[in-house]
Amino acid sequence: MPENPQIKHEHHSENSDYPGTSGIWIFVFLDMVVFLLMFLTYLSEKHRVPEVFVSSQQYLNEFFGLANTVILLTSSWAMAQAVKASRIKSVKQIKQYLIIAIALGFLFCINKVFEYGIKLDAGYSVTTNAFFSFYYVITGIHFLHVIGGLCFMCVMYAKSTIAGSSAAYTKGLENVGLFWHFVDVLWLFIFPLIYLTGLQ
Amino acid sequence: MDAKTQRYIDLAMAYSGPLFVVGYIIFWGIMGHNIPPPNMLAMSGEEFVANYYAKYPELPVAMIVSAVVAAFYLPWSCLLSSLLKDSNGNMSALGLLELTAGAVTALLLAACPVIWAACAIMYPVTDPETIKLIHMFCWFLYDCTYMLVSLQLFGAGLYAALNKEQNIFPAWAGWCAVVGGCSMIPLSLIAFVSEGAFAINGLWNFYIAYSGWLFLFFSLYCYFVLKHVHGGKSSVAQNRNALPA
Repeated sequence: MPENPQIKHEHHSENSDYPGTSGIWIFVFLDMVVFLLMFLTYLSEKHRVPEVFVSSQQYLNEFFGLANTVILLTSSWAMAQAVKASRIKSVKQIKQYLIIAIALGFLFCINKVFEYGIKLDAGYSVTTNAFFSFYYVITGIHFLHVIGGLCFMCVMYAKSTIAGSSAAYTKGLENVGLFWHFVDVLWLFIFPLIYLTGLQ
Repeated sequence: MDAKTQRYIDLAMAYSGPLFVVGYIIFWGIMGHNIPPPNMLAMSGEEFVANYYAKYPELPVAMIVSAVVAAFYLPWSCLLSSLLKDSNGNMSALGLLELTAGAVTALLLAACPVIWAACAIMYPVTDPETIKLIHMFCWFLYDCTYMLVSLQLFGAGLYAALNKEQNIFPAWAGWCAVVGGCSMIPLSLIAFVSEGAFAINGLWNFYIAYSGWLFLFFSLYCYFVLKHVHGGKSSVAQNRNALPA
């Protein structure tokens, strides 16, 4: 179908020399702003009722957080390797590294669900106090990002056999990679903010 | 309909959005003492009625006018959906999503103040706990159905972000709307939390969530809709232009 000549493309060219497309950079930036607001709200609440936050943080197990940090960092490394493999059109390597990244992502989810289960069994829910509201909201929204990232990675894995050597696939994988690194970076802020600042 | 009349209709519908926002802030927000709203979950029925309905006699008028003003959100949502077309000039699925979610949102924005108005009129002859229950139920209806508003934002946002053939809304505005829709997710907590940032009047669930809708979606889209309509391009004209030669 002929394209309407009156339509002026305001979208950024996708053949730019930075990884991914402009859309993912905008989304990641805006998502970062939302999380920044969330962290600032957390800090303001912590300033308002510090004793509630400090006493509640004692009930968190920092080793769950540390394990998830290592898991996500390793998964991010595997994702970066998959993107590198995509640039040299090595479908076999793309699949290998994507499987590692996906498996580690699932391991993060299992760890997180296990951690939530322990907290809920001990009677600490989202309604317990202001700290636990933040704990569940911040880690819960991050968890949703992880699930989203896993879905995208599974789609890229499924597409790799047919389209793995195309330039469009590389762009798509770069987008997914950027999102996955963003999820990782978010966790690097969440872990110290929620788990470590209350350690005594 | 001739083009001039069509343009006047488009302009009227485009300005109904700002009219709704200004009117709603004045009548529901300021006159209705909802900036921030009273935290009824942290009060007994008697305390709540004494500190809200009995304290502000202007509430019935404020709420009824809010219900009238809320209706102006509907024509604006209709105009916006008429601009979300596919390459053939037909309404896109995302446009339909924006329209239906916008219509349901307008209904909620109008219906809830009517119930609050009834509470404001009936509180002297009704048990305070009953008034609190109805007021709270209405707030849950108002806030916990945020996903309907979010769907409107997702529809308009994804259209702008992913449709590279349109030039009315920049892609970044679309992503802003999507993120604005996501920022409302913690509103689910208002039913369970009575203090802090996620309470009904909390920093996140009132100030940030509502500001997200206003600044990440409404203000941006309103600006681009007005720019488009003032540019002399009506929704129908765009439809004609988009038809294949």
